[in-house]
Amino acid sequence: MTTPRPRAVVIGSLSLFVVLFVVLTFELSASASTSAGKSQATRKARPATTETKTDATEPEEAASEYAEPEEGSGEYAEPEAEYTEPEAEVEYVEPEVEEVPPVVTSSS
Amino acid sequence: MIEAIPHTLSTQGWWIVSRSSAMVAFVLVTASVFLGLTMAAKPLRDPQFTKMMRALHEQTALAALVAIGIHVVAVLADPWLKPGVAGVAIPFVLGLNRFWNGIGVIAAYLAFLLGLSFYLRRHIGAKRWRTAHRATIVVYVLGLFHALGAGTDTGSLPFLVFAAVTAVPIAVLFVYRLGASRRAGERRQRAVRERHRTSARGTLLENS
Repeated sequence: MTTPRPRAVVIGSLSLFVVLFVVLTFELSASASTSAGKSQATRKARPATTETKTDATEPEEAASEYAEPEEGSGEYAEPEAEYTEPEAEVEYVEPEVEEVPPVVTSSS
Repeated sequence: MIEAIPHTLSTQGWWIVSRSSAMVAFVLVTASVFLGLTMAAKPLRDPQFTKMMRALHEQTALAALVAIGIHVVAVLADPWLKPGVAGVAIPFVLGLNRFWNGIGVIAAYLAFLLGLSFYLRRHIGAKRWRTAHRATIVVYVLGLFHALGAGTDTGSLPFLVFAAVTAVPIAVLFVYRLGASRRAGERRQRAVRERHRTSARGTLLENS
């Protein structure tokens, strides 16, 4: 038995790294080219994998992160309430109509 | 597909580097821990075998530290993740997979501390270093949980097969080592007691 040289471990590790790098690059490139839009696919590839990762590990955290947009949608309800104000403008028309008869009476 | 490679590398290059280096680091840490526990079990008394195992154990540990370093740098440089120095250096700061990435940071610190302490064992003291070195199994366990919890490729069959196939012998060797160290402790205590008894008998004979 001879003492192994460090070169063997270094070459082995580097080879494994290169193989993994090439495989992962081809895998991501393949998923990007098969999709309709290349840029869209590559952009989607990362969040999609991380979303599944968070779902599998920390569903509570993921749920809390998604809860934020819900709060944002609650804020959007406020402008909807403001839209009722124009209805009040219609009500303002009615007094104008009511004001007309006194004008008529004064002329007669 | 080949046309998409430059675009993939420019947008996701650092992510691919971090994933590849993480897998290499995990393989090397597993190999190093396995070799260390095998050495401790002393299956063969052959000095050449012990020398070979020790060299491989040291080389895989050092290569693992380099791979962990590359993984940390790649995560730091990832333009999508943007963890910042604090996210990489302080446990439980990174928002994404906070817990699993936090234990990954702890595992990295322990790996560097326990791994490089080998070269400081003369200053630390051999006995103290050996006691600390036994905690290296924690690096493997934390690394495994970090990989399972935060890793992108941990759902893949090759990773799961590798993790399962290596975890079982490591667990068996670790339990064996615990038993062996307990037996060695008992033997030492018995020897001390025996020494006390013989010295007491000697003083009794001298007095009589």
